Amino acid sequence: MKLILEKVKNGQMPPAKMPQPKPEDVAALTSWLTHQLAQMPDKITDSAASNSASSSAGRVTLRRLNRVEYNNTVRDLVGVDRHLADEFPQDDSGYGFDNIGDVLSLSPVLMEKYLAAAEKISRTAIFGVEPIKPTLVRLRSGERTYTPQLTPLTDYDLSGLSLTNAVHTTYRFPVDGEYVIRANLGGDRPAGSEAFQLSLWIDGELKQTIRVDPGNLASFGQLGEPQQLWGIRPEFRVTVPEGEHWIGVAIPRLYEGLPPRYNGPNPSKLPIPPWPKYKPPPDLTPKEIEERRLEHEKKGLETIPANSARVSFLELGGPYASNKGPATESQQKIYVCKHLNGHHSASCARKIVERLAHRAYRRPVSSSEVVQLTSLVTSVQKETGSFEEGLAVAIQAILMSPNFLFRVEKLPASTTASSRQLSQHELASRLSYFLWSSMPDDALLLAADKGKLARPDVLEAQVRRMLLDSKSQSLVDNFGGQWLQVRKLESVKPDGKRFPEFDEYLRLSMARETQVFFASIIREDRSILDFIDADYSYLNERLARFYKIPNVTGPEFRKVSFDPESHRGGLLTQASVLTISSYANRTSPVLRGKWVLENLVGAPPPPPPPDVPNLDEAKIGKTSSMREQLEQHRKNAICASCHSRMDPLGFGLENFDAIGAWRSKDGEFTIDSSGTLPDGNSFSGPQGLKAILKQKPDAFAECLTRKLMIYALGRGLEPADEDVVKEIVKSVSANNYRFSSLIMGIVESPAFQRRRGEKP
Amino acid sequence: MIITRKRLPRRTFLRGMGTMMALPMLDAMVPAFGSSRDVDLKTPSRIAFAYVPNGIVMKDWTPKTTGSNYEFTRILKPLESFRDDLMVLSNLDSNTGNALGDGPGDHARAGASFLTGVHCRKTAGADIRGGVSVDQVAATKFTGVTRFNSIELGCEDSRTVGDCDSGYSCAYTNSLSWRTPQTPMPPEVNPRAVFERLFGTAEDLSLDPETRARRFRYRKSILDLVTRDTQSLVKTLGPGDRRKLDEYLFSVREVEQRIQSAEKDPRRPAPGIDKPSGIPFEFPQYVKLMCDLQVLAFQSDLTRVATLVIGREGSNRVYPEIGIDDPHHPLTHHRNNPEWIEKVTRINTLHVEMFAYLLKRLKSTPEGEGTLLDHSLLVYGSGIADGNNHTHEALPVLLAGRGGGVKPGKHMVATQGTPITNLYLSLLDRIGVHQDTLGDSTGRFEL
Repeated sequence: MKLILEKVKNGQMPPAKMPQPKPEDVAALTSWLTHQLAQMPDKITDSAASNSASSSAGRVTLRRLNRVEYNNTVRDLVGVDRHLADEFPQDDSGYGFDNIGDVLSLSPVLMEKYLAAAEKISRTAIFGVEPIKPTLVRLRSGERTYTPQLTPLTDYDLSGLSLTNAVHTTYRFPVDGEYVIRANLGGDRPAGSEAFQLSLWIDGELKQTIRVDPGNLASFGQLGEPQQLWGIRPEFRVTVPEGEHWIGVAIPRLYEGLPPRYNGPNPSKLPIPPWPKYKPPPDLTPKEIEERRLEHEKKGLETIPANSARVSFLELGGPYASNKGPATESQQKIYVCKHLNGHHSASCARKIVERLAHRAYRRPVSSSEVVQLTSLVTSVQKETGSFEEGLAVAIQAILMSPNFLFRVEKLPASTTASSRQLSQHELASRLSYFLWSSMPDDALLLAADKGKLARPDVLEAQVRRMLLDSKSQSLVDNFGGQWLQVRKLESVKPDGKRFPEFDEYLRLSMARETQVFFASIIREDRSILDFIDADYSYLNERLARFYKIPNVTGPEFRKVSFDPESHRGGLLTQASVLTISSYANRTSPVLRGKWVLENLVGAPPPPPPPDVPNLDEAKIGKTSSMREQLEQHRKNAICASCHSRMDPLGFGLENFDAIGAWRSKDGEFTIDSSGTLPDGNSFSGPQGLKAILKQKPDAFAECLTRKLMIYALGRGLEPADEDVVKEIVKSVSANNYRFSSLIMGIVESPAFQRRRGEKP
Repeated sequence: MIITRKRLPRRTFLRGMGTMMALPMLDAMVPAFGSSRDVDLKTPSRIAFAYVPNGIVMKDWTPKTTGSNYEFTRILKPLESFRDDLMVLSNLDSNTGNALGDGPGDHARAGASFLTGVHCRKTAGADIRGGVSVDQVAATKFTGVTRFNSIELGCEDSRTVGDCDSGYSCAYTNSLSWRTPQTPMPPEVNPRAVFERLFGTAEDLSLDPETRARRFRYRKSILDLVTRDTQSLVKTLGPGDRRKLDEYLFSVREVEQRIQSAEKDPRRPAPGIDKPSGIPFEFPQYVKLMCDLQVLAFQSDLTRVATLVIGREGSNRVYPEIGIDDPHHPLTHHRNNPEWIEKVTRINTLHVEMFAYLLKRLKSTPEGEGTLLDHSLLVYGSGIADGNNHTHEALPVLLAGRGGGVKPGKHMVATQGTPITNLYLSLLDRIGVHQDTLGDSTGRFEL
């Protein structure tokens, strides 16, 4: 029945050539089907399940913290941000997300890692990071094709960051400390060039500049030969905080300080070394020698030597001079007895343990739980003479407890009721892991302790506060990264020959655009329709140049408004989305169409049959266009049933190549970006496609609602959730599609606030 | 390498907390890391499974004749020098990989059924259910005998986004090994992490013996404490949730065992190789490094059961090392395009070269009166035969080694309809684990 409902709603059935029903009949049929489906008993055989809408509460299986949640929770609990969970086995995902209760399993390997991590975290919190021996790491920027320029560009990135001779990479620094970043240079600078600069950028901020003067360094080459940079390795020494950071090393003002023959800005004032003397081979006649010498001199006057200075790779050494001792943040979170100087009284252990356990288990703790832990403190203290050692072991125990590792939602006391309201603490947990992928903070926990979340106005105020908190970035990274599938960007490898422009900096910049864009929609509570079409985005210089948007300089991301001719605006035109929905060597209208159907329309196509013939890739662009190749899909009726929905959407985006750059031709063929959908609507180009999608805002709202619900609830949706989805879409549409109305709709729904019972 | 018939008493060795012992171990010490209750003085048999995805070009795989003296086909050529240690087994099926009414999803099913013989439940998330895999059945025999019941290694990271095959959860494609129908055993893909797990981290090794012992004790106390916590928690939860806590408790017990075994015999084997710094960039180096680690683990008897996922089912890896820039999976849907078939054949051959490397390492490791290969049983294969059509019958399967008295050196063809699980039962017999059935088995496959 679900299938029938889908096909009728999408206008797929009846097929275009058959007589069509009236719109009101379609509406009647679809709403009847929806209602019937909601009434049907659940897949999970639970005879206690009631069919009334008020208890449309699902049941999510005990959810263990996934890797991201573990890292964030540990950071918020004891102020340790070492990302130890990055070493845990990868979390399996279900329904497109990696936080699904049923799918997250716990293997002995993971348990071993928990035990080791718990020890490290607790000891770091109490004693500070253990001494880490400095290591040397080589950071390459991946494959790059570097084409040296022979003439200076007039309009180029003066910071050097967007040029292909810079190196960009991310690195997770294990601890606050001093690090040495050694830039290994390569390439040549013309003879007679002045000294140049080398700049180090961290997270988009200029940190240090070094002067490099190859002319003054010992050279074994002859005068007049280019300055060879290979082997020159300037070092930056910087203090870097712990965590993952974006490092960039670039040569600013690349085309300045060059010899005058370049005709570049600010030419070198140094004397031009003479062209090297001609050295004749021994067996020539004097006449031949003179001829060759004249040729050589002439060549010297005409040649413009290449300026191919570049940073080849980086080496990173450290940490040096890292802070010893526990972080202030950790101390403040742990020593609630306020004795930060270490002179603890007898009651401190109990106070500290009780508060930590309360926060870690996300609920008040019983005295027997506290006593278990304080006995541990005492016995360790007896053995080692150190209160801090005892505390560290108690924290380790807390981090291993199932009450910490799992988000517990208890079976209701009475098993006759079909569902129950979640407790205040269970609700607070759901809320914080939904919006922050982390534990409730003190304010939220206090509200739960006092039972205040039962009041709708308090709940709403908390949600709004949490959305504005910087921790809501987790919603962007984790929900956004998986909904839009832009997490895939980490591992795409576009063909270097076809797309020489694709380098690490572009990859990082594309990813960041989508993140900043999404975060702005949350922060400014904008309409979710901005995802489909917006007249702005957030760009840095690299991306602006890539999109051919003028007047954007510098590596910071800032809001940029688009003219209609820019072809940009909304997710469908963002390089990140366009890249992950392409192959390494070409675009795929099918992949893109599928992406749109799955993630914006909520009508995913079924998988293809296994023996489907493939495209003749060699022909594309040469003897036939992509479009002609895909005609096969429309010719075969079986193929057409799905492809008539997918392909046109992808055609609408064909002007964007496999890394998201605008193009008007694909090889020899001018791109035809028009498309016709099964319901008869036709459009042209990305603007047209976006307009079509905007005609049905509720379809998008519903799609986004479903995905957010799966993420928030940690389970797939069941027929009983359909009414909830409908209600939420109604309220979103009544609120101008503002993002917060979507979140509020979910948080206030029975699906989020209640839990279905089961027979014990 | 001293080879004597006498069994050296363990006291001969320097006993102390944390002393290092150089490899390879004296075989007179066998079983050095085993439990003292293991009175089997014969060298222990190892069992391992290696998996390749997306099927194989069978016309270039299956030898034309049976018995001995068959000619090595193109894909099997890298194994020619191991003729006497190898068996090519044809015509084994994994019928549970078929749709059987569930529609598309052959890759998920192939991976989930290859070692289990069970038709996994089609779900994108709720109630995943596979089976118990043969390696885990073998692993239960060595509980408390070797430090690790089994190790799961992989050479491809799991997918981070989206569903993994037509409505099947990623749990099915990410793990080959399953401890229980609900608990997959995901492979470790970072060689550094594998190394640290087997041989210890830098921190472990830098601690003085007294502190290390104390830390072990604390870990045990903590595990006691959390076990009690769990038992009281379990009473307050419904049956669906209790299953998750069962996984938790099982894992706690496993880790407790490992700590106990480490305390009883605190010597740590010196690995003989440098700690890998991470995942090697080139595929052949990556796989070879994982093979090295597997050999080391067997050699120092840290475990006797291993699985190696050379490629995850549905793998889209590209192989620029052999000039192939097209992702693997789409290539295997070649629809008889000869260029594409050629590329797939080259990938298949590369994978076999990796297996040949593993065999070479095992064969060049002396042990007792033979080599480590003589005391091992290794299965290599895929849960899909024809990648183009997703067939699960007449799978490509190899058996290498002489563990448990197996006599290899021939090409055998199974009778029609023999499930691969029959082979597994026979292998389990050979290592001393006797089970009546496994998944869809119908009997034994006589070797």
